[in-house]
Amino acid sequence: MIFYEQLRGELRKLFARPRTYMGYVAFLALEALILFVYKLDGAQRASRTMLEQNGLDFDTFYSSLSISFMMILLSMFTLGSIFFALVGGDIVAKENEDGNLRLVFARPITRLRLLLVKYSAVALYTFTFVMFVGITGYLMAGAAVGFPGGLFVFEPKMKIFSAFPNWADGITRLGMGAVGIGISMITLSSIAFMFSCLRIKPAAATIVTLAILFVDMILQNFPFFKPYEEYFVTYRMSSWLFLLEKHIDWPKIAESYIILGGLNATLFIIGWLAFQTRDFKT
Amino acid sequence: MLEVSGLWKQFAGKPALEDVSFSVKKGEIYGLLGHNGAGKSTTLGIILGMVEPQKGGVKIGGFDVGRERAKALRKVGAIFESPAFYEYLSGWENLRILTSYSEGFDAAAAREVVERVGLTKRIGSKVRTYSHGMRQRLALAQALLPEPEVLLLDEPTDGLDPEGIHWFREFILSLRRERGMTVLFNSHLLGEVEIMCDRVAILREGRRIHEGSVRELSSDVPVFNVELDPWDRALSVVAAHGGEVLERGKVSLPPDADPAVLVAALVASGIAVRALTPVRKSLEDFYLELRRNGTPDPHALDR
Repeated sequence: MIFYEQLRGELRKLFARPRTYMGYVAFLALEALILFVYKLDGAQRASRTMLEQNGLDFDTFYSSLSISFMMILLSMFTLGSIFFALVGGDIVAKENEDGNLRLVFARPITRLRLLLVKYSAVALYTFTFVMFVGITGYLMAGAAVGFPGGLFVFEPKMKIFSAFPNWADGITRLGMGAVGIGISMITLSSIAFMFSCLRIKPAAATIVTLAILFVDMILQNFPFFKPYEEYFVTYRMSSWLFLLEKHIDWPKIAESYIILGGLNATLFIIGWLAFQTRDFKT
Repeated sequence: MLEVSGLWKQFAGKPALEDVSFSVKKGEIYGLLGHNGAGKSTTLGIILGMVEPQKGGVKIGGFDVGRERAKALRKVGAIFESPAFYEYLSGWENLRILTSYSEGFDAAAAREVVERVGLTKRIGSKVRTYSHGMRQRLALAQALLPEPEVLLLDEPTDGLDPEGIHWFREFILSLRRERGMTVLFNSHLLGEVEIMCDRVAILREGRRIHEGSVRELSSDVPVFNVELDPWDRALSVVAAHGGEVLERGKVSLPPDADPAVLVAALVASGIAVRALTPVRKSLEDFYLELRRNGTPDPHALDR
């Protein structure tokens, strides 16, 4: 019950900041932009050509589900990575910088407990934010092109090409995918959280996290590293896409999420050890 | 109630505390006096478990802060100079969040404390709109939730106006009267400590150079600034009453002498007494006195 109360307080702090809402607005704007591009004649023609070349019906697959899939895919690793790195990087370091931790440490809460509360808040926030992007993306796309239709998924890097003509199958898969990417993005927040626990500025925690993410992503795309792609965090984080394959390879997906879970736990422990041994001068 | 024993702490190889010990009895107001950098805040940080000492330890209510921090701090409230709240939240939300790190939020108790510190009308406003005095009242409110037995105050009156200082001082004294609150009071102001505290330890450059009752700080020879005319004739009258001229315009009297008697004698001798003002000692004066009286300079051995 006390943990819930502490978590509530942590979430209240997150949601009381105007910049949190700026993040929501930025995502809505990005979704609107993607939707606008999809509605352009040129984009529609290109979609029609690609779908028909693959034997798929344009009217079935040029749909709210297909568009919202693209919204999630395009927004998460661009704007999403920046946003989650910012939130995760701030969660501890900003409070230290602002001096709030002095009042917190005058309380009988342990540092481990404090970090558990903060980490839970960041993880919950990350996951629900992805859900927000998925739901609003779907609603916006539905309002623009209509809600019926199937789901078409094409992601060449991960070799995903699937089509679900039935709306119920499509929404189920898209929902599973959204949950998957929601969990994946917690790893990004975990990296930022770990840096936030160190003796660095919040901005530095955010920048280092983004640097790691982008270097990982760039190296993973080098042909030389292709045989080693499974060692890259961003590859593992992209495993949610496998949930959109026609036949789901559950062991492959489970392996990735176990690795990500282990990585998250390791990052938390490193952050905690660094935080535990720090002096906080009044 | 609070036992601080043999604290040693270095920051980046520089000593911040060297063998600092003291204890505070239940219901006592204990002053920790020293200039900035003397080690007062580091001591407070160690008491709260924010800073890990190289040697030594702290017990609060019998619980070791190093080993049982949560139990030790269960009945502790703390106030810092310029307390940093969550500016974008209301005072009430700040109280709710901060108390959730203790035993949970009790709205009725919080309302009572807010009323007592005089913040009821503004508790729903965002902290960023608070004045320094209001922040200090909010700091006091959070420190009093949930019911502490020990209050740790780190330069709490810094930046307050005279009215605010007076209010704060009276509030702390009333807490001691009503609840038998134990208070550790960090300050660099000798006068403040004299008014508030029963006992005092003086820190200088990380070392405790003096500990004793507050009376000891002011019980020695009283010194007065005087304006006497003619000055030369006044000297013999001052000397006749056991006084000593320290410099032109400054005299000392024996500890038991009544300055009113001297004034009467001066007037009777036809000397105009234009001013006679007691000289309040500064912390620096006290340091110098300790040195004159043989208390070793804490770094004499280093030189």
